Amino acid sequence: MLFFRKIMSESVASLVVDNVSKRFDEFTAVDGLSFEVRPGRVFGFLGPNGAGKTTTIRMIVGITAPDEGEIRLFGERVGPNVQDRIGYLPEERGLYKKMKVVDQLRYFAALKGLSGSDADKRIDRWLERMKLAEWKSKKTTDLSKGMQQKIQFISTVLHEPDLLILDEPFSGLDPVNVEFMIDVLSEFRQNEKTVIFSTHLMETAERLCHDIILINKSKKVIGGSLREVKESYGHNMIALRGSNFGTVFDDKTLVNGVAEHADELEVELAAGADGQTLLKKLIAAGATVTKFEQVEPTLNDIFIEKVGGVKSDA
Amino acid sequence: MRKFVAVVKHEYKKIVFKWTFLLGTLLLPVLALVFALVPAILFSIKGEPTRIVVVDRDGKISQRLKENLTAEKIAEKGAQAAKDAQFDITRSQDEQFRKNAQNAAAGFVFVEYSASGKTDDQIRDELRSMTVGKQIEAYLIVPQDDKAKFEFVSRKGGDFIAGSMLDEALNDAVRSERLARANINETTLKSINQRVVLDKRSIDDEGREKDSDMLLAASFVIGMMIYITLAIYGQMILGAVVEEKETRIAEILFSSARPFELMMGKLTGVALAGLTQLGIWVGSLASLIAFVAVQADLSPFLSGLPTVTPLMILLFLIYFLLGYFAFASLFALIGSVVTTVQEGGQFSFPVIMTMLVGFYFSFAVIRDPNSALSFWVSILPFFAPMTMPVRIIAATPPWWEIVLSIGINTLAIFFLVWIASRVYRIGMLMYGKRATIPEIWRWLRQA
Repeated sequence: MLFFRKIMSESVASLVVDNVSKRFDEFTAVDGLSFEVRPGRVFGFLGPNGAGKTTTIRMIVGITAPDEGEIRLFGERVGPNVQDRIGYLPEERGLYKKMKVVDQLRYFAALKGLSGSDADKRIDRWLERMKLAEWKSKKTTDLSKGMQQKIQFISTVLHEPDLLILDEPFSGLDPVNVEFMIDVLSEFRQNEKTVIFSTHLMETAERLCHDIILINKSKKVIGGSLREVKESYGHNMIALRGSNFGTVFDDKTLVNGVAEHADELEVELAAGADGQTLLKKLIAAGATVTKFEQVEPTLNDIFIEKVGGVKSDA
Repeated sequence: MRKFVAVVKHEYKKIVFKWTFLLGTLLLPVLALVFALVPAILFSIKGEPTRIVVVDRDGKISQRLKENLTAEKIAEKGAQAAKDAQFDITRSQDEQFRKNAQNAAAGFVFVEYSASGKTDDQIRDELRSMTVGKQIEAYLIVPQDDKAKFEFVSRKGGDFIAGSMLDEALNDAVRSERLARANINETTLKSINQRVVLDKRSIDDEGREKDSDMLLAASFVIGMMIYITLAIYGQMILGAVVEEKETRIAEILFSSARPFELMMGKLTGVALAGLTQLGIWVGSLASLIAFVAVQADLSPFLSGLPTVTPLMILLFLIYFLLGYFAFASLFALIGSVVTTVQEGGQFSFPVIMTMLVGFYFSFAVIRDPNSALSFWVSILPFFAPMTMPVRIIAATPPWWEIVLSIGINTLAIFFLVWIASRVYRIGMLMYGKRATIPEIWRWLRQA
């Protein structure tokens, strides 16, 4: 049965990271990490700086090999054989300084096994789409930082990879271009491609990701679909507005604490307590309730709590 | 393999399809030409003639000196010198000697001056004021005793050509005068002074004759060419590697192809660019020589060159590539551990030193191509690419030595490229700080 389930999950997941560890001398960069990524969904790879994100990504794209465990992509062990199916936009990225845009794109495409008129056609199409067509024969040094970033993005997607790994793809982009990239991403997702998106910006992750994993100090902290993560995340908060609440909040089996905000109260339910019970008790106590909203924790809240307030700022 | 080709193409185009390559290719021959021709042109420009007064109480030496500075005498001396140096003079060269001699002779104008009845101090004062007054440029006072000092005062002290000509002509004049006094005939002396003609030739193990002077020159030229090309292209590789590290392109490259493919592709691409440049130079030089050889009769000169067979050319090419890959992989290795090109320049110093030592070893090889030292340096990696080609020209060693040398050097290259691509993969992903030697050693063991 277990065997059967494993087969099932592999047929669904395009990327399987199975109990992977990586050590550099005494330092363990990644420690027994496991997760799966499914096609057609955006996977958020979250964590503070130094958590082991880049090391994990480098193992997925075949730059380094894990010391223990295994990484399988489309059922195959990762290595040079599957590199052509991956599009990787590293956080630390660049272009050849004195080379024409078109030559750089051609070279990166050739390294992914795409060449000739096929490559040229796609280059033209993408440059057109990114509104960079007139920059085709310009050198990197003539381009603005945002333009360079768009060129890098084109080089990542030019060979139409099945797995797209984007490490902090929006840093340095203006809002218009961020929206534009998000459109491209959702296009990939709709085409049943796999997208891994690494960031420390929780708001972006919350908006884009279907599944997430949060790692800290080389280990997985929490993972699953965004929904599951939020639901499993213990304390339920209630945003409450009204008057005459009486002594309902004194019930320690029901309420853990109350915080007063400008015009509403933030009520933290006690463990095992239920929002419906609180609402009933309030009504029974004769309170006037004008707003009662069960508030989910944001990813940012979860991040801060799990990572212990160590918020990255890179 | 497709990716390897892609890297080769990329690196080749990056160098060759750039105006700096064209400029460099054209500039080096121009530079060489400038170095060769400009001094000759400058020295052939006629300067203002030197007006000179010679004060000589009995007039014997000044008479001989004036004779020695005539065009005929100077030309004769030049021709004699060439003959002593075992050059066969062609008619056009002979004309050249005459022309130069006329220019030289026209450089001196003897001004009459009467010294009779004046004391030495008076003469000196007068001549000095004439010189300062720009009536003459120089004066020479011949002492009574020709072993005493000759006084030569000139406004044009920096004209070393005229100075050395005067010096020589004066010495000849004094010597002739002494001989005349000793009753020795000039022709007798010439036959006594005639230099021994030492026709230096060497033979290789198969008894074929070689001209040793030409050999030295040819070896020097070949060694120099290999050294310059390796140094230039080595630095180019270092720069390219540092750029990929600095711009963080390395991460994309490593996620697309194997480090060994990338490294080998890079080295091969740059090698092809280097060979293209060498090919252009050698091709144009060969056609220039052929052209000149047809125009002017240079056959006596050309026949002195060591014979080069197609097999030798093949061997040179092999050794050039062996040297290139050995040194280039070191430059690539340095490029992947440093953070800037400047830093890389400092670190490549030991590599350049090794190259230079190899270059100097090639002189030892010319001196004694069959010694134990020559044997070892022409087999050891890093030195063999510089010394073996020279050894092959000087005295072709037995075949097994060449095969052994090529074998060992090929193995060494695979080992070096393997090490370099290992360090390359790890070093390229370490940003911002330079790796230490213990760190590099660790990478080699773990990666």
